[in-house]
Amino acid sequence: MTFAIDVRGLKKVYKGNVAALAGVDMDVKAGDIFALLGPNGAGKTTLMRILTTQFKPTAGEAHVFGLNVVREGAEVRKVIGYVPQETSVWSDITGYENLLIYAKIYGLPSQSRKGIIYDMLESIGLRAAADQLVKTYSGGMIRRLEIACAMLINPKILFLDEPTLGLDPSARIAVWEKLTSFKEEYGTTVLFSTHYMDEANAYSDEVAIINRGRMVTSGTAEELKHSLRGELIRFSLSDHHIDEHTLDQIRGLERVNSVVVTDSTLSVTVEDAEIALPGIIDVLRRGEIPVARIATTKPTLDDVFLKYAGTTRAPSGGASTNGLVEKGVGSNRRE
Amino acid sequence: MGWLKRGWGAIAVNDSLRVVFSMMELELRRLRNDRTEVYTRSVQPVLWLAVYGTVFSEIHAIPTNGVPYIDYITPGVLLQSVIFVAVFYGLTLVWERETGILKKLLVAPASRYATVIGRAVASGVRAIIQVAIVIPVALLLGVSFIPNLVYFAAALAILFIISGGFAALSIIVAALLKTRERFMGIGQALILPLFFASNALYPIALMPRALQVFAAFNPLTYAVDAVRGLMITGNLALLPLDVAAIALFDILMFAVASLSFRKIIE
Repeated sequence: MTFAIDVRGLKKVYKGNVAALAGVDMDVKAGDIFALLGPNGAGKTTLMRILTTQFKPTAGEAHVFGLNVVREGAEVRKVIGYVPQETSVWSDITGYENLLIYAKIYGLPSQSRKGIIYDMLESIGLRAAADQLVKTYSGGMIRRLEIACAMLINPKILFLDEPTLGLDPSARIAVWEKLTSFKEEYGTTVLFSTHYMDEANAYSDEVAIINRGRMVTSGTAEELKHSLRGELIRFSLSDHHIDEHTLDQIRGLERVNSVVVTDSTLSVTVEDAEIALPGIIDVLRRGEIPVARIATTKPTLDDVFLKYAGTTRAPSGGASTNGLVEKGVGSNRRE
Repeated sequence: MGWLKRGWGAIAVNDSLRVVFSMMELELRRLRNDRTEVYTRSVQPVLWLAVYGTVFSEIHAIPTNGVPYIDYITPGVLLQSVIFVAVFYGLTLVWERETGILKKLLVAPASRYATVIGRAVASGVRAIIQVAIVIPVALLLGVSFIPNLVYFAAALAILFIISGGFAALSIIVAALLKTRERFMGIGQALILPLFFASNALYPIALMPRALQVFAAFNPLTYAVDAVRGLMITGNLALLPLDVAAIALFDILMFAVASLSFRKIIE
């Protein structure tokens, strides 16, 4: 089986020995929507720019639909679409003109060009604004236009670097509706990076977290959340008292990790709330402890992110302290 | 297999030309939506002709072989405005680097060299429109052009072609400097020495020796001579040399710009 993306031991060291990628391995299945998560400076953009043949890796191999990104760059560029993080359309011409110029650069046959452009404008919801200058567009409209430009050649895979950064919630939904429809209609594989965990959760088939140039974990959003083994069930007790015996019984249940009582709330951490809940309820009923309310909290992708990538906070805090110290030294020197 | 190879070569040339023409069309479309820059840019050449040109015509201080001084400097002033447009075209690329446009162009299924050369050549579109504003002013000031359409078209072609070379030079500078502020400084520092150390305002023979050597390596000297011959004096004795020098300059600049273009996005 040919993967849409197949990356082995990819390294990139910038001038000044800054290692942006420290050996990344990654597989993306064809037709998947794949989310790349990671803190700022983790290497997401570098990885994407290597995969889109903008520059070469220092070491390792990367293939896009079986094509080597270094040796077969020209072939790779024929099957990919790319929307960079920054605005990538000309603002002093209209939306239609942007698509027209890109269509000409891409070499779309002249007899079908116009039809393809208008179909694209229609499907991306910009038909009415086609003849307005792009500088009058909203952020969401610009992003959709950029996606339309990238989709002109009907690429096998679309690379999107933080596609919804700075967009309002409804514009974000509009962008994702289009991307999902391209996936369904043309089977377009989508690789995107984002800081919005809810997007990765809702729209991706698979998620990978990259931190300090390494892939720290990957899987479906469900798998990753499940891997934390920490769903929380909270019982609001109508009676303020719960006896030790009942607590011990709950602690003794299978798949129960911890039991804590605070005021009138009993908090139980379990691996899987749906499986553990009936057992706990049985115990409470036998102990004749009335329960007013039950709430379960499942770990979110935010929790997964914090677990795998959140550790960078400590060293970066340290770095800023160093910065302060350096500043102090600098000002001393000036005196 | 020879025919197959030639076939692919033809496709590659076709593809490259297509990209170049797309870039030119882009410039035309941008100009159609906003022409302010063209008008503000024409203030300077108009002042050169109307003030400097008229005053020095009265003085007769510079030997011009009987050509009125304002006529003598018209080709130089046209070239100066062309070069202004071309050199500051690099700024567009610096801006496109700050936005994501250059990244996207690099990832497009089109030759990167064609993209660079296309951008450089496209500056000629702006340059020619600039020229189209300055020439009527020159006519109003009494400059007499040779009434020969072929000569005139050839002169425009020279202006168009040299513009590409200087735009490529500005792409090289943009690739090295990468920021707007640094570029602005260099742009000015590049244009005026080229202009003054050429035959645009006075014959090279009047210059000190060192400057004469510099002028001989200044592509502007050859462009001025060609355009002056075609538009004003009709003296085409050195035209083949001029064209060869301009072509050499363009090819060199295009080659270096293509190689340095990768740098601009890193």
